[in-house]
Amino acid sequence: MLLQLRNIFKWVQQGGQRIFLLKDINLEVQEGEFISIMGPSGSGKSTLLNVIGMLDTFDEGEYDFLSESVHTLKEKYRSNLYKEYIGFVFQSYHLLDDLTVEENLEMPLLYKKIKSSERKALVADMLDRFSIVGKKDLFPTQLSGGQQQLVGVARALIGKPKLILADEPTGNLNSQQSEEIMQLFKKLNKEEGVTIIQVTHSEKNAAYGSRIINLLDGRKI
Amino acid sequence: MLINHLKLSLRNLWKNRMLSSLNLLGLSIGIGGVLTLMFSVYAYYIADDIIPDQDQIFYLKTHLADGNYYNEAVYPLLDKIKSTSPEVIAGTHLHGWGNIWLEVGDNEFQKTTTYADPEFFDVFALPLKYGNQSTALNEKFSVVLTDKVSKQLFGEENPVGKILIAADTLNLTITGVLEPISPYSSFRLDVLMPNTILKDNVGFKNQNNWDDSFSPIFMKLRPDADLQQFESRVGQLVKENYEDPTVISRMEVIPHTEVRMDSIPVVEIIIAGNLATSFFVLLLVLVNLLNLNTSTMYRRTKDIAVRKILGGSKKGVITQFCLENGILVLLSILISGGLFFGFLLPKMNDIFGADFGEIKFSLTNDYPVVLGAILLGVLVTLVVSILPTLRFISLPVSQGIKGKLDSAKGSFILRNTFIIFQFSIAILFICVAVILNSQIKFMKKADLGFEREHVIVGNIDLDYKDMDAANSSFRTLLNDLEANPYVTDVSTSQAIPSDYYFNYTRYYDADTDTDVRLRRSFADAGYLSTLKIPIVLGRDFNEEMDNGDEKPVIINRSAMKAFGWSTIEGKRLKYKNDDLVGNPVVGIMEDFHYQDLQNAVEPLVHYYRSEDELEKHRYLSVRVVEGKEKEVRDMIALAFSKIESRKNYTQSNLGEKVSGQYRLMDGMLKTVNVVALLTIFISCLGMFGLISFMAKRRIKEIGIRKVLGASVLKIVVLLSKDYMLLVSIGALIAFPVAWYMMNAWLSGFAYSVPIQFWMFALAGCIAFCITAFTLGIQAIKAAKANPVKSLRTE
Repeated sequence: MLLQLRNIFKWVQQGGQRIFLLKDINLEVQEGEFISIMGPSGSGKSTLLNVIGMLDTFDEGEYDFLSESVHTLKEKYRSNLYKEYIGFVFQSYHLLDDLTVEENLEMPLLYKKIKSSERKALVADMLDRFSIVGKKDLFPTQLSGGQQQLVGVARALIGKPKLILADEPTGNLNSQQSEEIMQLFKKLNKEEGVTIIQVTHSEKNAAYGSRIINLLDGRKI
Repeated sequence: MLINHLKLSLRNLWKNRMLSSLNLLGLSIGIGGVLTLMFSVYAYYIADDIIPDQDQIFYLKTHLADGNYYNEAVYPLLDKIKSTSPEVIAGTHLHGWGNIWLEVGDNEFQKTTTYADPEFFDVFALPLKYGNQSTALNEKFSVVLTDKVSKQLFGEENPVGKILIAADTLNLTITGVLEPISPYSSFRLDVLMPNTILKDNVGFKNQNNWDDSFSPIFMKLRPDADLQQFESRVGQLVKENYEDPTVISRMEVIPHTEVRMDSIPVVEIIIAGNLATSFFVLLLVLVNLLNLNTSTMYRRTKDIAVRKILGGSKKGVITQFCLENGILVLLSILISGGLFFGFLLPKMNDIFGADFGEIKFSLTNDYPVVLGAILLGVLVTLVVSILPTLRFISLPVSQGIKGKLDSAKGSFILRNTFIIFQFSIAILFICVAVILNSQIKFMKKADLGFEREHVIVGNIDLDYKDMDAANSSFRTLLNDLEANPYVTDVSTSQAIPSDYYFNYTRYYDADTDTDVRLRRSFADAGYLSTLKIPIVLGRDFNEEMDNGDEKPVIINRSAMKAFGWSTIEGKRLKYKNDDLVGNPVVGIMEDFHYQDLQNAVEPLVHYYRSEDELEKHRYLSVRVVEGKEKEVRDMIALAFSKIESRKNYTQSNLGEKVSGQYRLMDGMLKTVNVVALLTIFISCLGMFGLISFMAKRRIKEIGIRKVLGASVLKIVVLLSKDYMLLVSIGALIAFPVAWYMMNAWLSGFAYSVPIQFWMFALAGCIAFCITAFTLGIQAIKAAKANPVKSLRTE
């Protein structure tokens, strides 16, 4: 088992009242799964994803990731944990505009203190795999949305994570580009066994997954 | 990793090249200014460090019963003190006695000559480049040169043992050369001679008594000396030996470390001003960078969040930012160094060199300044990079990634305070500049009681080689001038306005029983008419009537008032307790400003002296018909070129001489102008960065407003009105402070402009216009943006 959420609650205080963002969420994810989280706007999809990715905290409940209990970990260990095992893909790509494609890919490796020669090899490998070798010296703003997201996925993958969290990865893309990205996810899941959790609005994209979780007002239905 | 950081920093700086270059500009000018100011302060403070054991050296200050004081004492006092006081290790007089002409080869030169006791080097152990301290001044006919003079005469050669000829007759042997002395030092000398050489001088013999206080006295005391006891002993000696001890109230023993402050009080103000200005400019620069960097950080919240998700640490983010700022600061230090050497230092020497001496920078001596600049740079870098980062770095990643900024509300109060502070300082400086400017204008334009236009002033104190020949040529020139149709009046005098000697003499009038101190000068019969100074009572001097044995005097209106006279009938100027009959007062002249307007018109007396006594007068003044100045000038210059003299004849006009009195103040004004410009520039720079950032932050709001129908003007007003309000608050704070400061400063002037409302209004206006301009550019740019585009950005 990769991760387990037990009775997760998250709320904000507004005018003396508790507004629940997540309410009693229980979730088990096995390695190799491809899960789609669906639900209307404001149902807590992104919040749930952030909690899983340890970018956000929760107020109540327990969270085990690879048999580490996240809720008892200190901030520093938590960030070490997600650095090591989780890759993120965002709707608006969040590539660093000041860096070239190549440098964007190299960034996570820099933070992992991997040797220069090894970094170069890994980046070259990744560029090759995503057929973006020709774009390596371009800046993100010079690429189309689809290509940017491709780089975004490549960057998420380069650290060899066990889990990829994707928050509406195709939200800003046209249908053809969406198709390509989803095919890529499917391939990664099938061939390399990477666990994927995606948030999506699209039934069509959700269908790529092996399991769908529906949320409404912070509750799993 | 470091290379990566460096690459990123450069790229970031380049990406924001507009802001970066503005920052660079502000920093460079700011640091350059601070460097210049601090360097002058530094040069001032270390100037006397060349004197060993300075804390053991003291000098005497004579306080008079009437409240006046001076740093001179009677000549024999030192010997008396030395023979009675065991705490004195050594003592020396240090005084001028005319600057004699020295000859080496065919060159003649006149340098500031200072006479000291042979013991001089036991008191001031100034290091010698060549020669021996213990024997340098032992011989009567010896002379010690400063490094500057030595280089001028002999180049790099060691001149010790060479002979200089003084005053055409005396052979002086060079016995030493001093190491270079800072121009800020209390030693303003070119040539040092033993005062034993004066012992035969008749004038000196006459003054070597217990009545004439003309010689400063310096002493080195034992470290364990009891100063109070010593001072009271000196006081006792004064009482026992002075001819008239009643005029002396006390003798003060003052540490030599205070001599410069003591002798030029304005130095203290300039130093304090320098320090305060550097501090504020530095603070402004710092605040500015802080503000701009905070804005930059806002823009980068998302960046930081992404980096953190990718595994970046806080330290990495801070290092990166430090590096970015460090590059900027380092570059600006380099640029400011260029500014300093290429422009600011020469400019400062230009402005203040004449009064305080030129300062030079040498790396071997002044390396602390360089180190200081670098240290300052590092400090600035750390502060401006770390402070803004701290808040953003701890922002939760999930918020940062959305670019949420609202959590930083508190910082706006801080930032607004910064802006108010910046602008109040900038406006303060503008106020100071405006008021200073009007005061200087007032002083230059004021009615001085004489007419300064069309008067040629020639310096005729030229050390003539053959006095008789010079006198006869001069008489011919005077006749020619009087015959010249372009010349209306001619006068020779000891002094002209702007250059009267501080020659005070006490007179007593038995009728009114009043004791009056008059400033004394000598003038011929043409003086008042040349300068067009009206006679109030009596008559002007007259060549025929006044050339007898009895020299008449004319006093000014203030002097008449001081004596309490209403008529001059039968009045004579006499000394108290004196049997002489005194000099008859033949006229009263109107008060005129013979010194600058910082000083009141003091009681003045002119003694008659015939116009052709060339050797006693210093100035030739000629009133000329308008437009004919050049002809007359050429004629006079030609006449003097035929008279053999050691100095060259120079001439200017009275107007220039009068304005020249305000040279130092002009320099101050220039400095204040520059500082005012600098501060407003830096403040606007910060404002510029801030508003561009605010416009970005409110891009959506602007878009919505435009869609709803707001005009460009409305949006410009919306974006800038808060800032204009801050500037107004800054102005409100600055005005009273400026008023208080300038009022205090102007009270030091006998004649000053009243501080008026329009001065503040003008200062406020200047600040407002510059700010509005800066704000406008950015605001219009933001307001003109296409709302469709700005609303689409998520």
